[in-house]
Amino acid sequence: MEIQTRKEKGAIIVLVKGRMDALTAPEFENDLSGQISKGENIFLINLTGLEYISSAGLRSILSISKKLKEKRGKILFTGLHGPVEEIFTISGFDSIFKIFLSEETALNEI
Amino acid sequence: MLRTKGIAFKLIFFYTLSGGLIFLLIFGFNYYFSRIIIEKNVEDNARNLALSKANQIEAVLRAVQKVPENLAYYLENSSCDNNELMRLLRSLVQNNPEIYGAAVAFEPYGFDKKLLHFAPYFFKSDGSIEFTDLGKGSYRYNAWDWYQIPKELNMPAWSEPYYDEGGGYTLMATYSVPFYKQSGGKKQCRGIVTADINLAWLQEVVSSTKVLQTGYAFLISKNGIIVTHPSKELIMNETIFGVAEARDDPQLRDIGRKMIRGESGFVPFRSIDSEKPCWMYYAPIPSNNWSLAVLFPRDELVADITRLNGIVIALGIAGLLLLSVAIVFIAHSITTPLRAMVQATKTIAIGNLDVELPPVRFEDEVGKLTEAFRYMKESLKEYIRALTETTASKERIESELKIARDIQMSILPKVFPPFPGRTEFDIYAAIEPAREVGGDFYDFFFIDDNHLCFVIGDVSGKGVPAALFMAVTKTLMKAKTSQDADPGMILTKVNKDLNQGNEACMFVTIFIGILNTTTGEILYANGGHNPPLMIRSGDNLSFAVEPLPVSHGLVVGAMEESIYQTETVILKPRDAIFVYTDGVTEAMNEQGELFSDDRLKKQLIKLHRKSAQETIAGIMKGIASFAREVPQSDDITMMMIRFHGGGE
Repeated sequence: MEIQTRKEKGAIIVLVKGRMDALTAPEFENDLSGQISKGENIFLINLTGLEYISSAGLRSILSISKKLKEKRGKILFTGLHGPVEEIFTISGFDSIFKIFLSEETALNEI
Repeated sequence: MLRTKGIAFKLIFFYTLSGGLIFLLIFGFNYYFSRIIIEKNVEDNARNLALSKANQIEAVLRAVQKVPENLAYYLENSSCDNNELMRLLRSLVQNNPEIYGAAVAFEPYGFDKKLLHFAPYFFKSDGSIEFTDLGKGSYRYNAWDWYQIPKELNMPAWSEPYYDEGGGYTLMATYSVPFYKQSGGKKQCRGIVTADINLAWLQEVVSSTKVLQTGYAFLISKNGIIVTHPSKELIMNETIFGVAEARDDPQLRDIGRKMIRGESGFVPFRSIDSEKPCWMYYAPIPSNNWSLAVLFPRDELVADITRLNGIVIALGIAGLLLLSVAIVFIAHSITTPLRAMVQATKTIAIGNLDVELPPVRFEDEVGKLTEAFRYMKESLKEYIRALTETTASKERIESELKIARDIQMSILPKVFPPFPGRTEFDIYAAIEPAREVGGDFYDFFFIDDNHLCFVIGDVSGKGVPAALFMAVTKTLMKAKTSQDADPGMILTKVNKDLNQGNEACMFVTIFIGILNTTTGEILYANGGHNPPLMIRSGDNLSFAVEPLPVSHGLVVGAMEESIYQTETVILKPRDAIFVYTDGVTEAMNEQGELFSDDRLKKQLIKLHRKSAQETIAGIMKGIASFAREVPQSDDITMMMIRFHGGGE
């Protein structure tokens, strides 16, 4: 898994590539937890490059979103496709997170 | 060869070799230069000795010369009668030890007009003085060289050595001085005065001074004839050129020429009689143009060098031996602890870490190695102790995990058929746990006489937390089901409870269904679980496999406020519902492909006539042959319920 972050219009845009499973999910969680503790509280997660997400990956997303909730922050998603989108659907994650078709529309929403 | 030898051997070998080489170099250098110096001294000594001997002989000869010269002068300048002459000659021989004999040989009728030949001769014989007249008998003195040559040359001369047959009867050389009378203003030879020296006596003079231990001197005449020599048989019988001829030695011939030319020099030589290697110094005797040769045996000349070299070699060998002993000692002090260390290493290698290490005697490399080794040994000991502890605790944890796993599995219903006598439906469930403790579970039980509740779930993550969360969930599910018969309500309540203190954000996907065994109606709710598959039987034995339409409720435990919907589906007789976890479809083969929904559906189609148990066993087999050697990463759980009809 590979994580790239950049800041745009007050949001941290996180590009996630590869597989997010029990092995790599802690990296994602630590990375974003670090940003949150630095004061960032708007995240746009771009999953265009993500091939697979396991329940451990979902758990780390859930954990981050709970932390943001305490800080009145936001977590948005874009780039969902294929099996990842399917898992979001099955797990009901699509019902609790805001998902956008593109980064632009997501950023406009902010 | 050297590679297999020990340090001691190598040290001794190389140090002795290099020490020996250095010693040889120094020795060679020393030998060369000391030889040059000593030879220079030898030559100086030889020259001094030879010259002093030559002077000694020269002095003897000069003394001999004086006597006939004086007598000749007397005879020329005074008249002298027979008696006077006899008296003079006798006393002359008697008073001069170096003179063997002396004569006055007159020209025919030179002394007495009536006497043709007159040559009175006195000579020494056995300590007394003998007299003979050489003019008497057959001895024709005026034919001899000693008479002819000085007369013809009109000057005194030494004869070549000769044997005086008829006169002195011995080997001798004669100095002859002519004397004259004035006759009509002309100088006329009146006779020859002679003095003889005995070669035997000369030999004594020559050999009177010792030359080293076995060195000697010899004389050669102006023709190269050996005049004196310690070996008497050579005297008068051999010449220096004869020796050169016999030896075919042109150098010696050349030396001989130089000698008779009156030159001097220092040359290597071999003794004439014994052939012993010598150095020879030759010098002229000016009086009679003879040449003196002094021979110095080479071994005696270089005896000092030889002795010095012997001492140096002995010292060198002793030094090398000492060096070797020192090296042996040093090598021993190095290798002894090393050997002990080798033993210790072997002992440690077989697991005995309590081995005693050799004591550190010096703070050198070996000492440091021993120290480092001791440190390593202690570290190893500590490490192994820690490892043993860790392994033990890991084993304990693993065995506890296994027990946890067993307990976890034991809380799942495993007895089939679970409800013998209930013909309205056929139920089977199976779980294939992954090696690591996972969080899959299933459950089924009757709520009342004709309502069968069935649940399947998959807890996020793995390990003990997942197992605990799964146990809690399963217990909660059963507890809530006894209060309500509405799946949506049950899930909503379980979700609320699981959210309490869920700091780790764990969650579980749950599908719950309640089958009315009379009507075939299923009330169900879904909390983020993958949708079950329906196996629908149509007319004429046709059938279809399709996913159950489910509303995708959020995974359970994620959000406290989640509400779950209850939905309904009706099973006709021979219809079946197949619920499973993603361990089924995400089983992976060696190529990294997933087992997938498609393969699952194909398997179900293939097995649709089989019982629930046979179907699930068939799919398990299908997954196993698909995954082959790839280790199972997730629990695989399946449950199937086939409805047979109300049964009234």
